[in-house]
Amino acid sequence: MTLLAPILGGLIYGVERVLRARMQRRQGPPLLQPFYDMFKLMEKRTLIIHAMHVLLGVLHFLILWLTVGAIFFGWNLLYVIFLHLFALIVLVMAGYSVRSVYSHLGANRELLAMVAYEPVLILVAVGFFLQSGSFEISKIMQGEGYLMQMPLLFMALLMIIPIKVKKSPFDVVEAHQEIVGGVEVEYSGLFYEFIYMARFLEYIFIYSFVFLFGGSSVWLGLVLVVAAFFLVNLVDNATARVRTADMIKIVYVGAITLCVINLLWIVL
Amino acid sequence: MAALTFILIPLIAASVILFVQNILYQQLLSGLVLIVLSFFAFLLFTSSESLIFALPHLVDIAVIFADIILLFYFIHQGRVYNDNKVLGLGILQLILYGWIEMLLPSSSTSSIVIDELSKMMFVIINTVGGIIIFYAVKYISYEKMDGFRKRLFLAYLFIFLSIMNALVMVNSILLFFFLFEMTTLASYLLIGFRKDELSQKNALRALWMNQIGGMVILLGAVVTITMFDTVAFDQLLSSSGGYLLFAVALLSMAAFVKGAAMPFDGWLLGAMVAPTPVSAMLHSATMVKIAPYMILKFAPVLAGTLLGGIVSVYGALVFVAASYFALSKEIFKEILGYSTIALLGLMVSLAAIGTQASQKIVIVLILFHAFSKALLFLTTGVLEKEHHMKSIESMKGLVQRAPKSVAFLIFGFMTLVLPPFGLFMGKLFALQAVSGNMMRSPWQIIVLLGVIIGSVLLSLLYFKVVSALLAKESDIKSTERESLPAGFALPLILLSAMIVSASVWLFKTQSGLPLYYLLIPVALLLLIPWFYRKIEGFDRAKEYHCGEKETFDAALFYFDTTALVKRRIYWFFGLLFVAVALVGVIS
Repeated sequence: MTLLAPILGGLIYGVERVLRARMQRRQGPPLLQPFYDMFKLMEKRTLIIHAMHVLLGVLHFLILWLTVGAIFFGWNLLYVIFLHLFALIVLVMAGYSVRSVYSHLGANRELLAMVAYEPVLILVAVGFFLQSGSFEISKIMQGEGYLMQMPLLFMALLMIIPIKVKKSPFDVVEAHQEIVGGVEVEYSGLFYEFIYMARFLEYIFIYSFVFLFGGSSVWLGLVLVVAAFFLVNLVDNATARVRTADMIKIVYVGAITLCVINLLWIVL
Repeated sequence: MAALTFILIPLIAASVILFVQNILYQQLLSGLVLIVLSFFAFLLFTSSESLIFALPHLVDIAVIFADIILLFYFIHQGRVYNDNKVLGLGILQLILYGWIEMLLPSSSTSSIVIDELSKMMFVIINTVGGIIIFYAVKYISYEKMDGFRKRLFLAYLFIFLSIMNALVMVNSILLFFFLFEMTTLASYLLIGFRKDELSQKNALRALWMNQIGGMVILLGAVVTITMFDTVAFDQLLSSSGGYLLFAVALLSMAAFVKGAAMPFDGWLLGAMVAPTPVSAMLHSATMVKIAPYMILKFAPVLAGTLLGGIVSVYGALVFVAASYFALSKEIFKEILGYSTIALLGLMVSLAAIGTQASQKIVIVLILFHAFSKALLFLTTGVLEKEHHMKSIESMKGLVQRAPKSVAFLIFGFMTLVLPPFGLFMGKLFALQAVSGNMMRSPWQIIVLLGVIIGSVLLSLLYFKVVSALLAKESDIKSTERESLPAGFALPLILLSAMIVSASVWLFKTQSGLPLYYLLIPVALLLLIPWFYRKIEGFDRAKEYHCGEKETFDAALFYFDTTALVKRRIYWFFGLLFVAVALVGVIS
């Protein structure tokens, strides 16, 4: 399962592109387009800036893969979050390691996005802990009724999904029109492929948090994931990009307040 | 016996090194002291007995004389440099001290208590402190001053080590006060060591701020003597009722001063003018570690009280505020300084919660923070002496010129944040412990938020700094080779090895952690230099500049707040500081 994670993520990405196209009344690409893209990238001539840059990019993908592996193994949710932080830090270092304006802007925005979503992820994990008595994913999966007890935490999680999957209104990190893809800009060919696949893994990472809200019921989890997926894409189509500073303000004032109210409600 | 080794060996080394002129012999001497002290510290750490013995009455009398001389010295300094704060606080302290000596129960004897906490502190102080002194030999040889002052500098550092060793084993509040003031003196002399105007100004500031710490200890001593008729920590902490919490509140306030918590952060930031080994010494092995040490000592009393609550919240807020302030700084050492203040806040906050689990976490944090900060400061010193740079603005693209130093810096930052290193483990345990407590005491959600947001801000800070270092040109230009002198390289390698081995040791003591899995990312990252030469088959390109011909160096981002907001934050923390005492009175 872990080994197949990039393929699963690729499929989710394919579905998303189809869904978005249908929402905009377009035909859209075929479902397997992400994989066709990958084959195309492999045939391209690869240009690199320097070795450290591309190696850090590959490393970002590998560590993200380990993170997703830790989710499938049912380990401690906090390890998952910190491994993900490690992967992100490696990407940020890659972005900063070249002398490119766009890459630096992108890396800086990656860090600021981290400042926004990381607290919410940890607070959601604490919510699971308070409900199930453990941070272990395997234990959390045995409990149920999370949605009833943690509705505000769920809303907070929904608020930060667009940051991680780079969707409007929180897609400043990538912002193709402004900073030509940010960190991605200096990658090409074979090495861009790793960055491209890393994005698939991000999908699995963030949606598995949504899935956890289903608890022992796999069906409820799946329904929640599909609903969240639909909602995020709907919002993506309906909103415009906000600025980085505003994104942080919105998340801190909105999402973190929701989390705190919900946690206090659980413990009191 | 053990107690004497830790105090006497550094003192002997201090007097010997004054007469050793050759650098090589100085290095040999400091290396020898490092080995001997670390050996004894580990020996003591692995033995399970805890030592308690009384001191002869002669020691008490000697300390009284020394104390009076010390306070007169402070007053003298206040007069010489025309500093009213130093002068006034010195006189107040002298009056209070005289009063206390008259109040003192005649039967009181001072004693030495070496418990688990002291043993751990010995390990940290002597290994890290020893390494720093070894490094300092090489560092100070670069300075432009006469040979005797250089040797005097090394002697001061040894004396500092000795004072710290004594401080973590005394059981009498008055002896503790004396040693506390001695660390103040040592930092005063070391900060002002360069003898220029700025150094002197900052040294005086460090002096008066720390004198406030001395004042509150004396006030705490007055309360303890009048209410409980003792000066011993263990008797105070095992008593109950009355004004126990008031005495502990006053003593805890001294911890905030020593830990440079806002509003006292000025002195630690000012300490940056001193030679770098001093900063390393203050930040990692000695001085500021008194703060979490004191709160850990009081933890059994603080646990579950309102006072413990406010101390804990204060610490958590310092963690967030200091991390935030660091984001606007440009001088590398100031950035490290604020990150120290932040992490001390975290330690104090967790210590004041007072459960067994949280106390263990604090010890882990103290240990790993000492290693990582020492590594970072010593590397900063290398950059200063070998590459003549202090500001992160001048460090842009440094990896091209100094790949080895940059590797040590990045490693140091990683050990402060990422798995599987000790500080990450500490924060992880902290999150688990605080979440576990929340059912019983919901107010700890403030601490939880503090831990989370502070950690996030620190990650932002560290990797923002790394950004400046890494910006490297395309491989079209080759990377230079950097040669590190052995006197610099050896301490850095030793510290890195200690971080790794201590992290592995920590993992072994925790069952059920996927150590090997968490090691994979680090292992992969370490393999990068090795793979570096293997990426040959691809063509090199220049960066994309959107068709512009501008040359781009590196972007550094600063996040600052307005002066008004800053002033309000300081007022808030000042009020919080006073509130600690008030809460002590009412509870």
